[in-house]
Amino acid sequence: MSRTRSRNITGYLLLAPYLILFLVFMVLPLVYGLILSFMQYEMISPLPPHFVGLSHYIAAFHDHYFWKAMSVTCIFVFISVPITIVLALALAAGIERTGPRRQNLYRLALFIPMMITISVAGILWRWFFNSEFGVFNGYLTPMLQWFIHCFPFLAKVINPKIPWLLTPNWAMASIILMTIWWTIGAPVVILEAGLKQIPAAYYEAASLDGAVGYRRFFYITLPLLRPVLLFVTVMSAVGAFQIFGQPFIITKGGPELSTRVMMQYIYETSFNNYRLGYGAAMSWLLFIVIAIFSIIQFRVLREK
Amino acid sequence: MPLNSAGKSSDQPTRRALLRSAAYGAGALLYSAAATQLAGCGIDENSSAVTLRFWNGFTGPDGEAMLGIIRKFNNDHPDIHVIMQRIPWDVYYNKLFVAGLGGRAPEVFIIHADTLSRFWRAKFIRPMDDLTGPGKLPADDFDPNVWEKVLHDGHHYAIPLDIHLLGMYYNRTLLKKAGIVDSAGNPAPPVDRPQFMDALRRLKGITGPDSWGFVYTWLRTNIYTVIRQNGGDLFTPDHSATTINSPRNIEAVQFCADLVLKEKLVPSPQDFDSWIGFRQGKVGMCWEGIYMLPDLQHQTDLDYGAAPAPTLFAHHAAWCNSHTMCLRADLKGPELEAAKKFIIYVSNNSLDWAAGGQIPIRRSLRRTKRFAEMKAQSEFARQIPYAAYMPSVPFIFEYQSEYDLAIEKSLRGTVPVAAALNTAAINITKIIKRYATNNAAGKSK
Repeated sequence: MSRTRSRNITGYLLLAPYLILFLVFMVLPLVYGLILSFMQYEMISPLPPHFVGLSHYIAAFHDHYFWKAMSVTCIFVFISVPITIVLALALAAGIERTGPRRQNLYRLALFIPMMITISVAGILWRWFFNSEFGVFNGYLTPMLQWFIHCFPFLAKVINPKIPWLLTPNWAMASIILMTIWWTIGAPVVILEAGLKQIPAAYYEAASLDGAVGYRRFFYITLPLLRPVLLFVTVMSAVGAFQIFGQPFIITKGGPELSTRVMMQYIYETSFNNYRLGYGAAMSWLLFIVIAIFSIIQFRVLREK
Repeated sequence: MPLNSAGKSSDQPTRRALLRSAAYGAGALLYSAAATQLAGCGIDENSSAVTLRFWNGFTGPDGEAMLGIIRKFNNDHPDIHVIMQRIPWDVYYNKLFVAGLGGRAPEVFIIHADTLSRFWRAKFIRPMDDLTGPGKLPADDFDPNVWEKVLHDGHHYAIPLDIHLLGMYYNRTLLKKAGIVDSAGNPAPPVDRPQFMDALRRLKGITGPDSWGFVYTWLRTNIYTVIRQNGGDLFTPDHSATTINSPRNIEAVQFCADLVLKEKLVPSPQDFDSWIGFRQGKVGMCWEGIYMLPDLQHQTDLDYGAAPAPTLFAHHAAWCNSHTMCLRADLKGPELEAAKKFIIYVSNNSLDWAAGGQIPIRRSLRRTKRFAEMKAQSEFARQIPYAAYMPSVPFIFEYQSEYDLAIEKSLRGTVPVAAALNTAAINITKIIKRYATNNAAGKSK
């Protein structure tokens, strides 16, 4: 046996455990889901599962709730991902400038929320957000009332009792706020690792040429960080498209479906209403949307 | 200190020994976790005993009460071993349905009365008429209006365990402070609309700007109670059409919306989270199920009382639901006989269940001194004659989504009440048609 072939076999053997799990838990369900999406399969229907072609896909395009959930998901992605990336970059750059001991402390502080399960974090934040009895308004309302007392003309603009989860716009903002708190740790750590990879020589050379402040950032840091940024952006966007736990626990998709995202609608369709075929078709449509966005991001951010 | 061949202290554990210990430790942890979760007090040691799997969603204090009953049953019946599996209600029905489809459904399981028609339609459950009669369960001991809720095609498909009614919890301190008291100076919770409105006005802002007389908690149950008090409902009696946008329903929902939007006597709805306000002592009254009682029983700094929900329109009504015990459709032989014994035992001992914050459905048990001493349960139980179940149809979750959305929009003032209910009616009609089409096609096959 040649050495190359032996090395190949070793490689495959090392890959095998993951590959088997990947095939069983990813590829098979995907294929099964695709088949299901062409079937009429309602668990409590007296009709046995039968082939209906593209009718579920066509039905989705005529389903008002599908478009509502898709638009809510897109709004969440387009607002939360850029904020997360910019904030994570700023935090990573800030941490990078502090001493080693403090760096660990800050990293830990940012990473701890990720270690809390979404069910616990969601319930906590739901209580925090309660407009009447929650901790946020417990502190903010007296402050805002004092502010309005000092500047009465603001009374028409500022509501001292912030309706965190009560109005569609505020509910979405609240979900985004909680999500950023919960997920920002990972992008910060990855971007910080990326920043450490940039050789100091570039900055020294730039200093000799007289480049300071934002110029160093825009002409050295950002271009050299591009591969890491691409990775973080794509991963954040894919994760954001699949958001489920936060709205499901905090708002249950309300008020008035303003935070019911695609994953929740698919979940409800498939497992509350037992319309598995239709749920599978919507899952595939979401998959296509995520794939398109990922390709666009790769094209825009890849190194030229 | 003796050294081994590698020059290490033999007192120190080797890597293999460490791994072995870790494996034993993990095994022990898993075993104890499984033993806790599979709450039948351990693994079946007697191989001749019939093992029954009993699934439910009793993950709170109610689970402890049920666990106590099962322990007693297992001790009293050495030939039967019941293993209880508790699954959160959020995912319970999904898991139960999938288990049923895969032929792995538990022998005995709990479902809510209003979901029964789904399981019946899916042919998951067997009739249980053979559990009633002399020496078994006395059918006339069940409240007729509850007993008929488990009836399909002339057969009873479940044995009701309890009835969890909505009622009114009130803050005794706040009511006294607002002067809502009887001649003896005790809090006098409102019983009709004039008293209710008066209480709302007196209690609003009584302890501060965030203090309210009443809050909506679970909109679905709160508003359904008012709808039924006005003589309305969501479907025609044969469930062939929706009546969600009937004039009576519009009037009832409009009244509820006006309390928030026009009268400003009730804050904007925040669903269950408003319950926190009641527990914090900032809310005078709220309508919730008896299942919230354990929450209050654990709280020492709240002087609360329980009473029937006040009647705001011409009819008495209070939302309710029931936990019912069901058997897997294909159950037979010794397992079936064991399951029957178990269900009869649980029903006979449901006063223990009531202690966990429930109301037993057996009239004979409710007449006991022990039940009379359960104050909140006794107060709520007064509403049983006019208990209002939500319509039980196979598409229950789908119509409830539409109903919830319409109520939410109405109470937030996003759209007029009539428009919200009309939209819901259109969408529910589509659902009814889809199910009717499937049914017709299924029958023709």
